[in-house]
Amino acid sequence: MNIVLIGISHKTAPLEMRERVAFSDDRMTDALSTLVDQENIDEGLILSTCNRVELLASSPDGSERGIDLLTEFLCGFHGLPRQSLKGHLYGLAGDRAVHHVFRVASSLDSMVVGESQILGQFKDAYQHALRAGTVGRVLSQVAHKAISVAKRVRTETAVSQKPVSISSVAVELACKVFGDLSDNSVMLVGAGDMGELTAKNLMEAGAGKLIVTNRTAGRAEQIAKQYGGGAINFEAFYDVLPSADIVICSTGAPEYVIKTAEAKKSLKTRRRGPLLFIDISVPRNIDPTIANLDDVFLFDVDDFQAIVDMNLRERESEARSAEAIVEAEVHQFIRHLRSLDIGPDIVEVKQLLSTMAMSEFNRNRKRIGVLTPEQEAAIQNVLIPALVNKLSHPVIVHLKTAARNGDTSAVLAELRKMLRID
Amino acid sequence: MDFLWILILLGYTICVTQSLISLTSSRPMLPRVALASLMVAFGSQTVWLLLRGLQTGRFPVAGTQEMCAFLSWGLVISYLIAARWYRADALKAFIFPIILVLSTVAAIAPVTPVTTLGIESPFQSILFPVHAGLILLAYCAFFIAFGAGLMYMIQERELRHKRLGRVFYRLPSLETCDAISFRTTAIGFVLLTLGIAAGIIWLHAQDPEGRYFKGEPDEIFAVFSWLVYLFMIQSRINARWGGRTAALASVISFMLVVCSLVGLRYFGTLHTFG
Repeated sequence: MNIVLIGISHKTAPLEMRERVAFSDDRMTDALSTLVDQENIDEGLILSTCNRVELLASSPDGSERGIDLLTEFLCGFHGLPRQSLKGHLYGLAGDRAVHHVFRVASSLDSMVVGESQILGQFKDAYQHALRAGTVGRVLSQVAHKAISVAKRVRTETAVSQKPVSISSVAVELACKVFGDLSDNSVMLVGAGDMGELTAKNLMEAGAGKLIVTNRTAGRAEQIAKQYGGGAINFEAFYDVLPSADIVICSTGAPEYVIKTAEAKKSLKTRRRGPLLFIDISVPRNIDPTIANLDDVFLFDVDDFQAIVDMNLRERESEARSAEAIVEAEVHQFIRHLRSLDIGPDIVEVKQLLSTMAMSEFNRNRKRIGVLTPEQEAAIQNVLIPALVNKLSHPVIVHLKTAARNGDTSAVLAELRKMLRID
Repeated sequence: MDFLWILILLGYTICVTQSLISLTSSRPMLPRVALASLMVAFGSQTVWLLLRGLQTGRFPVAGTQEMCAFLSWGLVISYLIAARWYRADALKAFIFPIILVLSTVAAIAPVTPVTTLGIESPFQSILFPVHAGLILLAYCAFFIAFGAGLMYMIQERELRHKRLGRVFYRLPSLETCDAISFRTTAIGFVLLTLGIAAGIIWLHAQDPEGRYFKGEPDEIFAVFSWLVYLFMIQSRINARWGGRTAALASVISFMLVVCSLVGLRYFGTLHTFG
């Protein structure tokens, strides 16, 4: 049994290329059944995301032939000449294919290492193949193991622990300052994309209230409506400031929109507790001296970027321990898979011994003398199978060891010689 | 009894090591080992206090040894309650070292002689545990407030300097630290007030002239610490202070109180036993 894989990813091909070989959801079932309809492809699974397309299959043929079959299918399905994918497509077989699948599911091959989406996408791909009936004993085990390895990587390493985008770092900071955000209100000043995204993430993280203000009142109302908040006049900003806990500023203004003196005056009426200013505008819109006020914290784009960079570096170093986990799991899994492969061999050994025992019994039947039907049945159904089990046990153990180390055929040939068959 | 102290010190040492390593690493280390050692140490300490109580026939809070043992025992309970309520596991890195120090002092301090402490009537034998126990529990609460104040200050500093190290990510949120600090100070203050009241009644009952205040150093100290905490709580409620000032105040007032307590014990007299 051979596990083969071909794929194309953000590491090997530009987006235009990946688009051409992607499988849309509605054509997935069709693609999966076409794939396994091919001769010499037993099982198939397709993972298609915006960053990668991977085809995983099990094939009784050799690894090169298997990879070839998959490439032919991919080109045929999308109507592309083989030549066009050259240099972009990679093909892997056996333990290297398993290794790749485990790494992909664990998000070690992702554009942003440790991102959490890929595991969900992998699970979906497996579910799809399951519904289409194109995965069987081998690929099911690969997929299950890949999912459990990904979970292990996530819990045992910090590879996906810290956020690596500006808006998610902002949310984490807010949570570090306020804990549960449900009692806190967010104030969005300006309608820049990054600001809106950050406000959206904060609301999704459970922030209690959203207030939006913008020079163009219409746009403020539009955003407020979208996330269930309220809009206020731009001029009324300082009047409402005391009720805010997190202020996100993202306007296109070339000067400071939030000034320290005014803010200080307005904050006199504020209840005690921290106040977090998030300035994602370039040029900056919040006077940096505002951070000198009591209980006020200010973060600008550079501060966020520094945290993002630090978190990325930490993810990279954590990825090294994650790779070690994947490595060990692949090794163990391959051994397990090989020991499963000897199922038919075990049956054969038992059959051989059983036939021998039965023929000996029949040959010596007369010498045994009179037996009641119960006694005869007991010999055939209890004694002989027990003997066969006892005798075959060391052979099976030997076979399993041989299987884990690579090949069983030599052991089987030896056994045949010993039992003088063939 | 020595065997119990070995278990206690060993258990708390493991807890301190584990909590400090966990605070600075990206994942908590050996949480089960730490929990088991905490249970062993705390159990042994409970047994020691019980045995001591049976041996002396009174509430075991007289003299340096018993006071420190009771304080560290109460501190474990206070920590468990605070950490559970606020899900502030990191608190242990600030509390366990104090517990270890207190237990070490208790282990090496001279054994308090078995005296009757002037407990003659049943009335006084009730007042003694109420007075001493409540005041010691108040200290436990102040210890927690101190730990939470420290956590607040560390975190606030990192946020201001935008240097978010490993410790930063292990600590509970600023607002949580602030809430722990305030609540425990308030609880401690109530306990302290009740404990002092019990002490005054006891003094009155014992004094031949029926005085409520004799002007002895320990009484002055009690009034002093009560005033410090009264001022702190009052300032907090009036929102006169920001989060950082409040945290700093809870750390400083606690150190002030501890220093004067230690000073009293060695240079003056904190009651005349032990």
